[in-house]
Amino acid sequence: MLEMRDIRKAYATPQGPLSVLEGVDLSLAAGASLALMGESGSGKSTLLHLAAGLDTPDSGEISLDGQRLSAASEPARAGLRRTRLGLVFQQFHLVPSLSVADNLTLQARLAGRETPDWSGELLTRLGLAEMADRYPEQLSGGQQQRLAIGRALAGRPALLLADEPTGNLDEASAETVLTLLLELVRDSGCALLMVTHSTRVASRLERRLTLSHGRLLAEEAR
Amino acid sequence: MNRRSTIRRLFTRLPRWKRMLLAGLMLALVLGLVLSLALLAWPTRHSTPPAAQASNGGFAGLGRAAEGFTQARPGQVLRFPEDHGAHPGFRTEWWYLTANLHDEQGRPLGVQWTLFRQALAPPLAPRGTSEAAGMTNPWASNQLWMAHAAVSQGEEHVVAERLSRGSPDGLAGPAGVRAAPFAAWVDDWQLTGTVPSALSSTADALSQLSVSATLDEATRYRLTLTAKGPLVAHGEAGFSQKAADGQGSFYYSQPFYQAEGEVTLNGETHRVSGRAWLDREWSSQLLGEAQQGWDWLSLHLADGSKLMAFRLRGGAADEGNAQDDSADYLSGSLISTDGILTPLGPTELSLTPLAESSVAGRRLPTRWRLEVPGQGLDLTIAARNPNRWMTTQVPYWEGAVTVAGPDGRPRGEGYLEMTGY
Amino acid sequence: MITGRRSPRLVSRMAPHLVPHLAMARTALITLLSHYRRHPGQLAMLLVGLWVASALWSGVQAINASARDSYARAEALLSPRLERLERRDGAPLGYADFTTLRRAGLPVSPLIEGTIELNDGQRLNVLGIEPLSLPAGGIGEDRRTGNGGEDGANPLGLLQPPGQTRLAPETLATLNFSPGERPITAGGERLPPLVIDAQLPPGTLLVDIARAAELLKRGPRIDTLLLAPGTPAALPAAYRRTPAAQGLSPGQLTESFHLNLTAMGLLALVVGLLIVHAALGLALEQRLGLLRTLRALGVPGRTLVALLAVELVLLGLAGTLPGILAGLWLANILLPDVAASLEALFSASVGASLSLPWHFWAGSLAITLGGLATAGLGMLWRTARLDILALGHALSSHADSRRRQRRQAGLATLAWVFALGLWAWPAPSGTPSLIAGFAMVALALAGSALALPVLLGAALEGLKRCLGGNSPRTALIRWALADLQLQLPRLQLAMMALLLALATNLGVTGMVGGFRLTFLDWLDQRLVADLYLRPPPAAYDSWRDWLETRPEIATLLERRETDTRLIGAEGERPVALQGISADPALTASWPLLATLNADRAAAWQSLREGAALINEQLAIATGLAPGDMLTLASPSGPFTAQVAGIYPDYGNPRGEVTLTVERLIQRFAAKPGSMGLVLTPGLAAADEAALRQRLTRPLPASGEALAPSLVDQRSVHRQARQVFERTFAVTRALTGLTLGVAALALFTGLLAQARERRARLAPLWALGLGRTTLLGVTLAQLGGLALATALLALPLGVALNWALVAEINVAAFGWRLPLHVFPAAWVQALGLAVLVALLAAALPAWRLWRAPPRQLLEEFSAS
Repeated sequence: MLEMRDIRKAYATPQGPLSVLEGVDLSLAAGASLALMGESGSGKSTLLHLAAGLDTPDSGEISLDGQRLSAASEPARAGLRRTRLGLVFQQFHLVPSLSVADNLTLQARLAGRETPDWSGELLTRLGLAEMADRYPEQLSGGQQQRLAIGRALAGRPALLLADEPTGNLDEASAETVLTLLLELVRDSGCALLMVTHSTRVASRLERRLTLSHGRLLAEEAR
Repeated sequence: MNRRSTIRRLFTRLPRWKRMLLAGLMLALVLGLVLSLALLAWPTRHSTPPAAQASNGGFAGLGRAAEGFTQARPGQVLRFPEDHGAHPGFRTEWWYLTANLHDEQGRPLGVQWTLFRQALAPPLAPRGTSEAAGMTNPWASNQLWMAHAAVSQGEEHVVAERLSRGSPDGLAGPAGVRAAPFAAWVDDWQLTGTVPSALSSTADALSQLSVSATLDEATRYRLTLTAKGPLVAHGEAGFSQKAADGQGSFYYSQPFYQAEGEVTLNGETHRVSGRAWLDREWSSQLLGEAQQGWDWLSLHLADGSKLMAFRLRGGAADEGNAQDDSADYLSGSLISTDGILTPLGPTELSLTPLAESSVAGRRLPTRWRLEVPGQGLDLTIAARNPNRWMTTQVPYWEGAVTVAGPDGRPRGEGYLEMTGY
Repeated sequence: MITGRRSPRLVSRMAPHLVPHLAMARTALITLLSHYRRHPGQLAMLLVGLWVASALWSGVQAINASARDSYARAEALLSPRLERLERRDGAPLGYADFTTLRRAGLPVSPLIEGTIELNDGQRLNVLGIEPLSLPAGGIGEDRRTGNGGEDGANPLGLLQPPGQTRLAPETLATLNFSPGERPITAGGERLPPLVIDAQLPPGTLLVDIARAAELLKRGPRIDTLLLAPGTPAALPAAYRRTPAAQGLSPGQLTESFHLNLTAMGLLALVVGLLIVHAALGLALEQRLGLLRTLRALGVPGRTLVALLAVELVLLGLAGTLPGILAGLWLANILLPDVAASLEALFSASVGASLSLPWHFWAGSLAITLGGLATAGLGMLWRTARLDILALGHALSSHADSRRRQRRQAGLATLAWVFALGLWAWPAPSGTPSLIAGFAMVALALAGSALALPVLLGAALEGLKRCLGGNSPRTALIRWALADLQLQLPRLQLAMMALLLALATNLGVTGMVGGFRLTFLDWLDQRLVADLYLRPPPAAYDSWRDWLETRPEIATLLERRETDTRLIGAEGERPVALQGISADPALTASWPLLATLNADRAAAWQSLREGAALINEQLAIATGLAPGDMLTLASPSGPFTAQVAGIYPDYGNPRGEVTLTVERLIQRFAAKPGSMGLVLTPGLAAADEAALRQRLTRPLPASGEALAPSLVDQRSVHRQARQVFERTFAVTRALTGLTLGVAALALFTGLLAQARERRARLAPLWALGLGRTTLLGVTLAQLGGLALATALLALPLGVALNWALVAEINVAAFGWRLPLHVFPAAWVQALGLAVLVALLAAALPAWRLWRAPPRQLLEEFSAS
């Protein structure tokens, strides 16, 4: 479902080009889950951004469901993001001026594929049903991240990309959120690519890859 | 809290965005109301009620009732030279000259010079707002003068018009008519008697005339006219009946002019000569109430005699049958070479349109049959060119015609006038 | 909807069959707009800014459009293409001239112009035309051809008894009559029935020449003969064409007046747009995160830019349409004053009610939306270049704002350099000097506005550095200064608005005040006689002879006037010519701006000996200076005289030459004018009253039926002052409103940052500062900032005042005024600025004051 072949990416810095990814190959099957680990600055987030079509590689090929992401135009990549992907960030990036319920359904509505039953179920399962009319600023951090996960899943994406989804939470909330996330991913049958630096979190996922100096280390079998 | 009105309570219960929406709607409503009120109260620019359409009154209002004016009645004797001048007691009057001319190459060329006088109000009506004594106001006049001139040859038909108000008594204004020595003028257009003063006691003031007009930069004419016969009075010693109910006008003519002179048409000057016809007519109600217009002919016949005929259209009660000849009023005069006039009554002549042309967006008869059975006359009259529409403020058709006998041979020429189409 | 029991959501449910892109656009737009739901203050600020900007601009434009419509109708009434004839011998034209020329084949038409008084005291212009001879197209849309009988346009309508009195709908509205009625004049004569004619200018009655001659008691005399354009050049020897430039059209004369108004309107528009700019910037800054989120969720960047443009248009329409309505309302209020001053200054009739062509609406909408677009373009640009990978980054870095400040400072310098350049080097020839003057002022204002934040920032930095010591007080002050620096980017646009409004206010107040002083002085110097008498022309000499025998009168000052042409190297120009009695009673106080060798007495002596004085307008327009020779056209050939001096002539739009009255009679055959009567000093009040009484009745000896008209000096004074006040009423109203807009800008700016402020102040409150202290600090911050702005506005205001009196006025009206400075107005401006700031700060401060501790605590919990 997600295929990345020989991805290279460098950024221009005042000190000259900084190579972040130096030939990364990665593939992820439908419904599978993969944890991407590595030290800070190892290129995890860059890889995630490339997978989401938020950025384009200098060379290499990325395809999603057989569609070549690396060759698509910006609007086409945006379309894919809208309809096939779900994104969860470390900072929750909720829309402060929309209510909890409207935030939850935002991406699904943007994609034109909202299903009220599924949205309702998500609200209930995320424990937000009682706060549907509140605004994000009135929620706790854990609640906000649960809402962000709900927003990503409400449109039934094929792939969920998560960037340190629990990085901003205390341990207890992190556990709740992670459990919920994995449960929902499993139930909705979508694939998951999660960037994390926590081995404890990574161990809950099916596969684990580690980035180091722009290259993937060999996958540890499990 | 409990002192708040129900509306207020309802309002505050709404969610915040709904309250804003409601307030916005209210604002929009108020604005809309103000706007529509403002638009309603705005002075509408063109709200002037349309001026009441003047009742038809026939062509150029010549059929309007004439209270306060002198009526033309039979039995009055024409007096010259006084009657060559204006008759302010009557509403309408004209000096009407048409000339059938030929240039050096023998090509026919028509010239018209016409002066109309129209009273805007009866002579006794106050002339203005003020009766302030001592202030002479030369502008105050109830007389309107209107002059038309035309030069036509082939496709060319140049028309000009001059308007002027009347002059005060005793002051020569830009337009007027003087009986003796004769002069009729509007601006620089004039028709002037040129009888030498030595002959003025014996000769008629109209027996020698000079006529001139400048139509535009490239078109003007100057002709001298010499009468080769006497003045002739139409109808009943000058009273010409115009409707079955006795409505009529005073009408005399000088049909015997020999014309010479120069005509400049489109910058080209031609020496011309030919024949001309002057009509003098005045009245206060020329047409009957229901008459729409007339067809009028003045013909110089080949044998030297002259023929005048007219048909006043409409006026009969029978509205169902427009073709009914009895709806029209016909009259005419046959004038012998020595000036003996034979009046032709309504039953003594017939005038029948033969063919129509499309002119200025109208259908006009430009071929006619004129029969005077009692005189053995059966003539076909055809316009030299149908394009002789006078684009003046009161528009009409006026142009030269040819006359042919039943055998098709030329029998003369003349002028045709058609009004009220 | 998520569950049935909830209220309908803002985001409505999407039907699945909808085109996905449309659904996306809709959802994204609603999400973008939801920002204003949470921040209604910003929405209000935007709308109010647009509303105010478009209201003031369209108000001014409505006045201009209305006045121009009146001029257009006045010009269309008698086409300027018509030539006018006069007699070579200078004798008045009459019926005989009309007849002679018509009989010579010239298409001339007579015209009578005059004023009548109705029996209710209302005065109206009367135009008498001869409809039959008027050249085609001579009157508006060819009123000659009688084809359009609808609105009585038939020429016979005027002629046919009882005739018609045609008038504009506006005139009818002021008359209290209905169409068809016949008003009665003060002389008891009935006018012909009224007929509406929308093409006529307001205040003019069109009647047949016969009626006009009676109403104006003209007899056979007429004012002029009109000649159709393109008539062959040859005229009879006794006549000649009146030089075409005899009368400047009202449109030309008043152009500068309207340019002044337009400049004021433009300033108001700019100040209003500053609010809009500030609000848009805020709305964008606060939505940067939202925009990035939407991009991440799959809304293409181009769609977002388009949606923001849609938002701009929606906001623009919502703000502009009510703004235009408010502008109309404003114009309706101001128009009577404008109309009155145009009438008094330029004798241009302007309807006192609005009459607007379609392009007014389109133009107002376009200008305001265009202004909005310039303010919004920056927002769209930043959106288009949005870096989506910077999700959640800080808004703008310190370096960013540094760079922006440097750029602003550069632009400010550039604007000032250009402004000074315009002042030092005259505009290229062909550019109207008034435009150049306004460009200079605009550049100076723009430069100052741009420099303001830089200067304020530098001042704060400097104050912070100067602040020594470590007392709690200085700590608080240092915090307040640092906090103010943080607030500055938010408040800078409002402060710019305040600066512009204050400077304009100071400049205009100074100009008007200076003008008032100069003008009133000048009036006193010029109006030396106690009474002014205008005898009927026929009885003029008898009156003079009689008056000269009267012991009550110390000096008799004759004055006559006529028109002539100044013959210069580059052609002729029309000038007014006046003749005065060069009596010491008059010359002692008559002000002169420049004379040969600065010798007043000599100038007056040379006037007596045949030299001329010219007014300042003429001197500026022609470059004539004392000592130069000037040549005037006179009935007996060119008249040459030396210019002995230049005098100020405020309020006169025309160039004027002054000679002695004797010379005017001898050489220019000037008609009798008026006499100024200087009363014998110490004249008893009873004697004076008796004399006045005597002067209002006809002179029995002359057998003349008409009485002279008598005006006393006080009423001339009063009238002149009234004209003056009305002329500047509009200007002052507009500056006042602009100041109001600036206050509004400040207020909305403060309101918009209220939440942010609370977040900043809450920690201080938590650290143990009382609310009173916090409130005091807030108010002191704003008051101080406004005071600093006002201090910067002072020199700018003086500069503006100088530009107005020395450049703009000269270009617009042809007179220069001395620069007067009013320190009282400065103090007033400083006070006003602080007051405005405190008023604007009052509501946010009050809300902070009233905020319950729970709300302040929330600032910590929600981060």
